[in-house]
Amino acid sequence: MADAVSVFGGRAPAEVQQLAKHLRNLDRDTLSQMLSAVLRAVDGLDCRESLRLISESGLVSEDSFNHAVAGLYALLKEALCLPSLRQEVFNEDLRALRVSEEFIADVSSAVFGSRQTSINISDTHRGPTLAKIQDFKWRVDVAISTSSLSRALQPSILMQMKLSDGHLHRFEVPVVKFQELRYNVSLILKEMNDIEKRSILRIQD
Amino acid sequence: MLCVTQEERSFSEEEEEKLQSGLSLEKHTLHLLLETLSFILEQNQNQNQNELYCQAVYHNLKPASLRQQLENISVQPEKAEVFAQVWASAAPDVLQKIRLGIFAPNKLDLVGWQLNLQMATSARSRLKAPHAVLNLGLRTEDDTERLQDVFVEFNHQDLLDFYNQTGAPGVFECEVLMN
Repeated sequence: MADAVSVFGGRAPAEVQQLAKHLRNLDRDTLSQMLSAVLRAVDGLDCRESLRLISESGLVSEDSFNHAVAGLYALLKEALCLPSLRQEVFNEDLRALRVSEEFIADVSSAVFGSRQTSINISDTHRGPTLAKIQDFKWRVDVAISTSSLSRALQPSILMQMKLSDGHLHRFEVPVVKFQELRYNVSLILKEMNDIEKRSILRIQD
Repeated sequence: MLCVTQEERSFSEEEEEKLQSGLSLEKHTLHLLLETLSFILEQNQNQNQNELYCQAVYHNLKPASLRQQLENISVQPEKAEVFAQVWASAAPDVLQKIRLGIFAPNKLDLVGWQLNLQMATSARSRLKAPHAVLNLGLRTEDDTERLQDVFVEFNHQDLLDFYNQTGAPGVFECEVLMN
């Protein structure tokens, strides 16, 4: 039975095969708490607090708790990786794993309901990225006098950016360029808002 | 020695002969020597003029004072007048160009950007996370042909923080000083 689980493309790992056995003793509330904690873990966010609360509540035996969390983590992680997984297929897989029906609905909605909250992924799970700004400082200078002009009175901005890949860039920004930079940044922010509020691209989930 | 133009000769025939014997030079060598010296002096005179123009820019001289100063170093009045008029019309642009050319080791020359939508990673599929990449083109003082590209990535929150950090104070001060 467990061999036919399509989510894993073959034989499911041991913790998943035993998942049903350990879920049997849980009540629905505990399960939903565990599901939300595991979802956070899959996204790389910190979930130690919620897991600690569940394990200390005494509703679950420690052994069961550990196995259940491990099994759920493996299952959810694999399910969330597959872009074209359909809910019915996933439900079939859960039945093949002999998870009880009511739990199937919970687990399934955890996987398929959380698709939109993808903005909270921690940085480690974002995959390869370019450099990000680690430290950013600026100052405004006014050149009062130079060797070419005795009364120059030209303001300029000096920026210092330390990036996450270790480079330090220090550069001067003429006022005109600064306006252009700020204008472009606000333009990008507006576009981002548009994307997040409504799907500009009609992506079928 | 003396200020000369092409037509005048600094020394009379006798004086040239005396120089020739005194310096033990041949006649054509002496002429070469005299011409070289007068050339150098002319350059100095031009250099005086250049100095004057630099001073004009440095102190932002009015055209009238420029004309006066030129006449003081024996430039003919009509020519001084021409210089003064050209200066009057060209000065604002020249000064503005110099003002904007205040030097710094690196200057931001180009602002480019790209907005991406992250659809999936190896850890997670079906994302819709927008993120932006800013391309800052920095021009170094000595290398005017090539821009150094700095690529910086931002997600939504990072970009908001950046926008607020470069926010009201800097812009406000710049605008006050420009006006």
